[in-house]
Amino acid sequence: MADGTRAARPLSPHLQIWRWTVTMAASITHRATGLALSAGAALLSAWLVAAALGPQAYAPVAAFVDSPFGLVVLAGFCWSLTFHALNGLRHLYWDAGRGFALKHATMTAWLVYIGSIILTVIVFAAGLAAKGGA
Amino acid sequence: MAHKGTSTFIAQRASAVVLLPLAVWLAWSLAAHAGDSYEEIRAWLGAPVNAVLMAGFVLAAAFHMRIGLGEVIDDYIHSGLRGLCHAANWLFSAAVGLAALYAAWRLAFAG
Repeated sequence: MADGTRAARPLSPHLQIWRWTVTMAASITHRATGLALSAGAALLSAWLVAAALGPQAYAPVAAFVDSPFGLVVLAGFCWSLTFHALNGLRHLYWDAGRGFALKHATMTAWLVYIGSIILTVIVFAAGLAAKGGA
Repeated sequence: MAHKGTSTFIAQRASAVVLLPLAVWLAWSLAAHAGDSYEEIRAWLGAPVNAVLMAGFVLAAAFHMRIGLGEVIDDYIHSGLRGLCHAANWLFSAAVGLAALYAAWRLAFAG
């Protein structure tokens, strides 16, 4: 305003106003998993540096990964990766100008949620099998 | 990221396409090596092909991450702190990528 004060203009409605839909949830989850993957990338990088530095640097990192909390972090990283990758494919499909019809977008959002959970279970089962067999 | 909308859009999609096959490789490899000892992990990452794929994944991820985190910063930080946040984002992404590059180089080529 001319006198330097801000007018109390209405804000656009945010999360608590809208009725939840799966497309909206998928959009929010895409961003949330992107943030989680940023932390995951830093951890992956730290794990690589520890492996390069030697067994003394690697031991505490390996102990963390083997701990119950470490397994939860790994599961979260795995699901974030599969969700973000599958929903990223959905975004690329949109970029091609397809899949915008409401029914279609809702279906692909459900597919991303279900598919990412199935992929996470498969990768984790393979990991536990490799661990058990080693 | 003002005035760079189109190039940022393309860079984000291009890095996403690069990351897709690398992510499949990463998820599968980490699962396969879940029970490995330190020596086995060294041997696996000591093979240049694995070190290059690993460094490639983290570098592409850092590049993609810098764009994504930049979008989040632009969406939520409107004060003078925004420039500082973008600088911190650049430093963080560069550190993640360069650390992995250094580690992969040491593991595969410098013992």
